[in-house]
Amino acid sequence: MTSLISPATSDRAAKVMLWVSASISILTLMFILGYIVVQGIPVLTLSFLLESPRLSGAEGGILPAIVGTLCLLLVALLSAVPIGIGAAIYLAEYAHEGAVTRIISFGVECLAGIPSIVIGLFGYAFLVIYLGFGFSIISGGLALMFMILPWVVRVSEESLKAVPGGLREASLALGATKWQTVSRVVLPSAVPGITTGVILGIGKAIGETAVIMFTAGSSLLMPTSLFDPVRALPYHLYILASEGISDPMAYGSSVVLLVMVLVINLAAVAIQRHYGRHHVRN
Amino acid sequence: MSEIEIESRNLDLWYGSAQALKNISMAMPEKKVTAIIGPSGCGKSTFIRCINRMNDLVKDCRITGELLFEGTDIYGNSVDAVELRKKIGMVFQKPNPFPMSIYDNVAYGPRVHGLRNKEELDRIVEGSLKASALWNEVGDILDRSAVDLSGGQQQRLCIARTLAVKPKVILFDEPCSALDPISTAKIEDLINTLKHEYTIVIVTHNMQQAARVSDHTAFFLLGELVEFGKTKQIFELPEKKSTEDYITGRFG
Repeated sequence: MTSLISPATSDRAAKVMLWVSASISILTLMFILGYIVVQGIPVLTLSFLLESPRLSGAEGGILPAIVGTLCLLLVALLSAVPIGIGAAIYLAEYAHEGAVTRIISFGVECLAGIPSIVIGLFGYAFLVIYLGFGFSIISGGLALMFMILPWVVRVSEESLKAVPGGLREASLALGATKWQTVSRVVLPSAVPGITTGVILGIGKAIGETAVIMFTAGSSLLMPTSLFDPVRALPYHLYILASEGISDPMAYGSSVVLLVMVLVINLAAVAIQRHYGRHHVRN
Repeated sequence: MSEIEIESRNLDLWYGSAQALKNISMAMPEKKVTAIIGPSGCGKSTFIRCINRMNDLVKDCRITGELLFEGTDIYGNSVDAVELRKKIGMVFQKPNPFPMSIYDNVAYGPRVHGLRNKEELDRIVEGSLKASALWNEVGDILDRSAVDLSGGQQQRLCIARTLAVKPKVILFDEPCSALDPISTAKIEDLINTLKHEYTIVIVTHNMQQAARVSDHTAFFLLGELVEFGKTKQIFELPEKKSTEDYITGRFG
C-alpha cells in the first residue's frame, strides 16, 4: 500500500508538531511565571520581606512565614540527608543484592508514593500528638523528612552505584579499608548526583502544604524555638487566597517562594561545579 | 638465585561452579620480574588478583591450595587483607586515578594509613613521583586534577600512588593495554628500574613486552599453568608444544 502522504511531508509535519510541543512546554512556564510576577510585583517591597503580617496578612509583610519555611526546610534536610545518604551507602556499598535490598528498595518506593496528605495525617498523630511535639517546627520538619527521604535515598544510591568500580579497587589495593574507600573516594565522587537528589527533595518540600498544615501549625508569630508553631509560605499563601484575605499579598508570597526555589537551585549548581571540577568533562 | 617472595602451591579457584584456576604451582623470586602470559580468559588476571586478595570482592569466589607471601599463607586466618595490600600493591589495566589533585592521589595511601605530617607527605609525594618518572612533568602542577593528565601520565601516577605506600611487591595487571607505544615504552623502562627494589609480577597479553621486561615467564592456558621458567628459555626453547605455538603466534 502506498502512503497518501509523502515521506518529506510527514517529516516536515513531525518537525512542526514537535516544535509546537516544545513551545507549549516552555510557554506554560513563561506564562505562569509572568502572570505571578506581574500580579505580585506591586506588593513586593522591602517592608513586605522584612515585616510581620498585620490583619491576618492583609497588610504588613511575610517575614515570619519566610523564616518558618526556612526553619522547616533546615530540620527536614538535617534529618533526611544524613539518614538518606546512610541508607543509600548501605544499599549501594554494603548490602549484597538479595531479598533484603529488594525489600528496602520496595519500601523506599512505597514511601515515595504515599500522598502527602496521608503523611501529614500520620505526622499529626505521631509527632504532634503521640510524641507531644505539638504544632511546631520540629513536627513539620520531621514530617517533611518522611516525604523527601525516599528521593534522597534513591538518587544517592544511583549516584553511588554510578561511581566507577576501578576507583574502589584502586583504593582497596592501596590498603584502605572499606569505610575509608567509601568516605574518601566513592562518596565525594557521588556528591554532584547526591546534590541533585537533595535539591529534588527540597523542591518538593518547599512547596508542600498538606504535610505542614497538619504538623507545623499556622502561627503568624516569629518562632523563637524548634517547638514553636510556624506558618510556612505555601500555607500562608493558601490561606490568603482561600479565605479572601488578599490576592495581591498571595501573589507577592508566590514570587518570594519562586525566588527561594531559584536560589536553592543556583546553590546546587555551585555545589555541583565545585565537586565536579575533577571529573573528566565530556 | 634470590629468595622466593611469593609461592603458589596447588592453587585452585572457582567462580561459583566454574573453575578458573587449576592446580597452579609456581614460585616468584624476590626483586625479579615475573611475567604471566596467555590468551584472554586463561586465568592470568585472576591469578594475580589472588595475590593481593582482590578476589575477596567477588561473590562466590572460592580458593583452595596455598599461596604464600614471605612464607605465610595469604589466605590464612590471621592475615588481614587490608594489611596485606599495604605490602602488595597493584596497578590496574585501565588507569584509575582518583578524581582529586595529583598531590592528593599520591598522598592518599600514606594518609589512609594515618600519616598527617605535611613535610613527610611532601617528601613521599616527591619521592614517589620521581621514582615513577613523572616528577619532571607534574612537579609544578601538583594541585591540578589528576584526571586532566594523559593516559600514560595517569598510569605513571597510579604507579607513584602505589610506591607511596612502600610495598614490597607490585602487581601489574596488563598496565599498558590502554596506552600508546610511547607511553608503553616509558612504563617498561620504569619496570626495569623498579625491579631493583621491588618484586614485580606483570600480567600481559603482549609477548614482546614479557620478553623485554621479565626475568621469568609463566604461560597460562585455560586456567592451567602450562610452563614456567626463565624468560629466555621460555621464548627460545619452550618445552611444551602449546607454549611454542602461543609465542610464535599460532593462536591467541
